[in-house]
Amino acid sequence: MKLAVLGAGPGGYVAAIKAAQMGAQVAIIEDSEVGGTCLNWGCIPTKSIAASVEILKKAKLSENFGIEIKGDVIPNLSKIIKRKNKVVEIQVKGIRNLFKSWGITLKEGRGMLISPREIEVTLKDGIKETIKADKIIIATGSRPSQFPAFPFDGNSIISSDDAVNLKYIPKSLLIIGAGIIGCEFANIYKELGSEVTILEMLPRALSTEDVEISEQLEKEFKKKKINLYTNVKIDRLEAGNDGVHAKLPDGKEIVAEKALVSTGRTFNSAGIGLETIGINKDNNGKIIVNENMETNVTGIYAVGDVIGGFMFAHVASREGIISAKNAMGYDEKINYNVVPVSIFTSPEIGSVGLREHQASEKGINIKTGYFQFRVLSKAHIMGEFTGFIKIVSEESSDRILGAHIIGPHATELIHEAALAIKNGLKISDLSETIHAHPTLSEGLMEAAEDVHGEAIHVFKK
Amino acid sequence: MNPDDLKYHKEHTWVKVSGRKATIGLTDYAQNALGDIVYIDLPEIDIDYEINSEIGEIESVKATSSIITPLSGRVIEVNEDLSESPEIINEDPYGKGWIAILEIEDKYELDDLMDVSEYDKYIEEEAK
Repeated sequence: MKLAVLGAGPGGYVAAIKAAQMGAQVAIIEDSEVGGTCLNWGCIPTKSIAASVEILKKAKLSENFGIEIKGDVIPNLSKIIKRKNKVVEIQVKGIRNLFKSWGITLKEGRGMLISPREIEVTLKDGIKETIKADKIIIATGSRPSQFPAFPFDGNSIISSDDAVNLKYIPKSLLIIGAGIIGCEFANIYKELGSEVTILEMLPRALSTEDVEISEQLEKEFKKKKINLYTNVKIDRLEAGNDGVHAKLPDGKEIVAEKALVSTGRTFNSAGIGLETIGINKDNNGKIIVNENMETNVTGIYAVGDVIGGFMFAHVASREGIISAKNAMGYDEKINYNVVPVSIFTSPEIGSVGLREHQASEKGINIKTGYFQFRVLSKAHIMGEFTGFIKIVSEESSDRILGAHIIGPHATELIHEAALAIKNGLKISDLSETIHAHPTLSEGLMEAAEDVHGEAIHVFKK
Repeated sequence: MNPDDLKYHKEHTWVKVSGRKATIGLTDYAQNALGDIVYIDLPEIDIDYEINSEIGEIESVKATSSIITPLSGRVIEVNEDLSESPEIINEDPYGKGWIAILEIEDKYELDDLMDVSEYDKYIEEEAK
């Protein structure tokens, strides 16, 4: 079986390796960097920069821990970016080595479908080559959405791609959109010293998360003096000599040195030959697939950002595995019931499953458990005690349906709940499992106990 | 010792009235129960608040709790020093740790507040 994969991001490269493990002869085509957006402009760079910011934050708090630092603690953005590049480079090399190890051919150039079984690749040196395959997986990803009202110029009006490679820390940064990307960058640049203002069209930051999570994050923004304006829609941004101007509906004007537009992403589905072979897209350019990740053209699959939905690297990778197995003759369907979300703000956010407000929409009777990190000794040991863990369970069955965490290491803690939900576990399964002391994970046990009002470290109500 | 020239509210705030101005703060009992205060969300200036409503929030190492106003009135001043150093409330709850000054309409609401002996008794009961 010959398989061609178009795009080597977390959807494509995982599909390629999975298929190769199953015995396919695989070619993968990438016209930019191996690892895609996630590795080069998204997850990895932002978290690497956030790790530097975390060190800065800790250094500033070092006195509290009895550590004296002589002299000033100063962030050096070019060194932070240099370290980020090194982290990225190691990961890119890792994927290239995996390709070699599994005998996957990497073609570096622009791929275009010319028939349901052929991709024409224009290599970096201009030479064209045709790759024949029995099956094809499209994983071309997405890019920051460009709007005429907010035209990117790479300097004063920037996208998230630019924000991971700034040359210096802007004095002020205006962020359009309080989604995951906007909130993460707000945190990073505020901590680095920028004056940060976020404008959000919807009534709350992180509108897809549980309402209490948004409320807590908004409180944290207030504490950090990150200015967040919700329910604000702006018509346009104008770049002038003194910075970027944004006019608010109430007449107020915000001027910032730079504006980061993080209002969504556009599907990379144009110019890759989809029309030639009649692959169905919706009006926004999203490729339409079935539960097997297959497009309307038999033997051609699509995964990752280009099919829309969650648009997370980890979801793309799962879709990649499903598509590879199906290309290899299996009949596997994707299941999006348990998709953990990890948001690297400070404090971090981790969530999975049912949000409380979704329960009534879906007609599910729920019970919730709530536990504050500040009650845990480990949180005090770390000096990070803001935030909470909330567990949503089905009243009739006692099954865990959702978990929402804002607090230290929330992005890691969430996976215990993900495993519990995936396996249909009950509240008692979580609360009766011994959790090591002193850890943050004890919070999940106590939040589960709280569903039945049985948490040990909570005052009598 | 709670000062005897103040009036006290059941949600553990104190009031000192001078003319139409009422200075409010958190009682020693409250700051003690909360432990080290790490953050205060101060009331907003020029906003009218009803008696018994939440005018801000206090976060300590042990808990987050609402600041409940003991009187109705308009906030005319807040203690900005607290935003940088909220621990002042722990150190001096009746002095430098004051939270806000309200402009009050009338003084009838004062009659329902406790004096120091009533408040001392109240917290003694609460501690049981």
